[in-house]
Amino acid sequence: MNSLNLILCAVSAAALDICIFVLIITAYREKKSSKKNWHEVSHDMELAEQGKIYELGCDEVLIGRHASADVRLPDLSVSRYHAMMTVSDGVWTIKDIGSKSGLFVNGELIREKVLSENDIIKLGNRRLIFRKRSDKRVR
Amino acid sequence: MYANPIAYFFSSIFVLIAHIAMLVNIYFNGNYTNVRSVAVLGAAVIILDIAYLVGIIFFKQASYILDFLLILIIGMSVIFQSCFGEVGFDVKHYITCIVCLVASKASYLLCRNHKYLQDKKKYIYAAIGIVVLITLVFTSAENMWIEIGSFTIQPSEFLKPLFVLACATSIADQQKKHKVLFFNVVYENIALFGIMAIICLVQVKSHDYGSLPTFLSIYAAGFLLRICYPKAKFSKKKLFAVIAVIVIFLLIGLKYAPEYVQHRLHVDIWSDKTGDGYQQSQALIGIANGGWFGVGPGKGFLANVFAYDNDIVFATVSEEWGLLYALMMVFTIVVITAVPLINPARSYFHGTMSACVSAAFLVQMALNIWGSCNLIPFTGVTVPFISTGGSSLMVSGFMIGMLLAAQSPVFKEQKNKKQEAPVPAWRWNE
Repeated sequence: MNSLNLILCAVSAAALDICIFVLIITAYREKKSSKKNWHEVSHDMELAEQGKIYELGCDEVLIGRHASADVRLPDLSVSRYHAMMTVSDGVWTIKDIGSKSGLFVNGELIREKVLSENDIIKLGNRRLIFRKRSDKRVR
Repeated sequence: MYANPIAYFFSSIFVLIAHIAMLVNIYFNGNYTNVRSVAVLGAAVIILDIAYLVGIIFFKQASYILDFLLILIIGMSVIFQSCFGEVGFDVKHYITCIVCLVASKASYLLCRNHKYLQDKKKYIYAAIGIVVLITLVFTSAENMWIEIGSFTIQPSEFLKPLFVLACATSIADQQKKHKVLFFNVVYENIALFGIMAIICLVQVKSHDYGSLPTFLSIYAAGFLLRICYPKAKFSKKKLFAVIAVIVIFLLIGLKYAPEYVQHRLHVDIWSDKTGDGYQQSQALIGIANGGWFGVGPGKGFLANVFAYDNDIVFATVSEEWGLLYALMMVFTIVVITAVPLINPARSYFHGTMSACVSAAFLVQMALNIWGSCNLIPFTGVTVPFISTGGSSLMVSGFMIGMLLAAQSPVFKEQKNKKQEAPVPAWRWNE
């Protein structure tokens, strides 16, 4: 193989390398837009309690005391696996998944309930507000 | 939708440049008798690229990155397969690649709404049963293919996406525990274990031992996410128990494997170069012969070795295009499987599906490459997208459609499903 052919091989491999590099950059750019898209799907809702905001990042959000829960509430009155929130068609639903102290929405003991904006969710001694996402808003 | 038009434009341009660079390399370095064959190949690849890149505009997706990676690897596959032995245009492989692209889009449309698929779970189990029956009735250890005219179908390949769907659709049922004697049992887990056992038995009966690790990897990925569902339920004890059971079964399998499998496990390819070690020894010689930049498209001798275009395709690409290019090909497939890590799925269903598909792709690729390089016994498993084979390519396309669906999911309830009326908040009742 002469040097010209060798250069062509190297250029061809380099073109593929650059292409993959560009595609990886595109993937990272899509990550940002995908997050924005998710906020639209989830109607831009979040859970908040005094001084803390919990993002609702997937279609099934586990709330509990356990260290690996999506929304962790380190309080003995909260069960380790207390409640599960799910989204469908932009509508969030909360469901009790076998908690000991029960799940209350706006003061009413419930097993499963469709959530509306500004609903107050009570798990044990902890109170969470289900509200529109707003970074500036401080409760 | 179309959130990054500039990035998409440049991605399309660079995909085209990558393919054009390969075609230019063929023009100057390739082994061809008539320049027309290079022109036909080039036109076919560029037309396919443009058609697909224009076609995806009509699909409203949140993410298109997997489409770009898919068309990149498919174009590479068409070019590689058309150049083995002598530069020409492999029409059959080109058609199967188009089928692969269509299958990816069909799978994307089917899998993007997990609530729809979870409702149709029983049909997935029924489809697995039908494919298992077809495999048992129409195939044998001597012939794993069904011949329909000039086409051959390997039915066991179709079990892979169905098994992935079975793993993913049953994940949401992990909380439905039933008390049986003293144990809390999830019926779906038992059903899935049963399906896995049946598939493994069918593969053993068909003497298709190479596919076993692929199915086991799908099950392992599905099971790992299963015991982590919801996240808090993760149990180290269960995980260690599963690993221990797998190791025990592996040891028993190795101990009681058929004689020819035992022979393959212990064969010295260099002392049996004309027998069982023929393909692997030739593959290693081919890789060494190709060096970093290859001997040139169509100039390799591995095209004379049996299964050069599927079982030892990594070695054939290494010989003709060079080890650098073969490694870049592997890297492209690794990037495809890594996309769900860059942009994680928003549901357990899609997460499980992505993990299972990525595990299957990686294990298949590892088995093929390590087998070609004599790091493990030769298995005869194909490299996704690169190896020939209509069933393999179609299934790979269908599985990448699942990854696409996980990147652009839809969260909608089924229209025919009875919807619960939203309960008004107490403040409105007052």
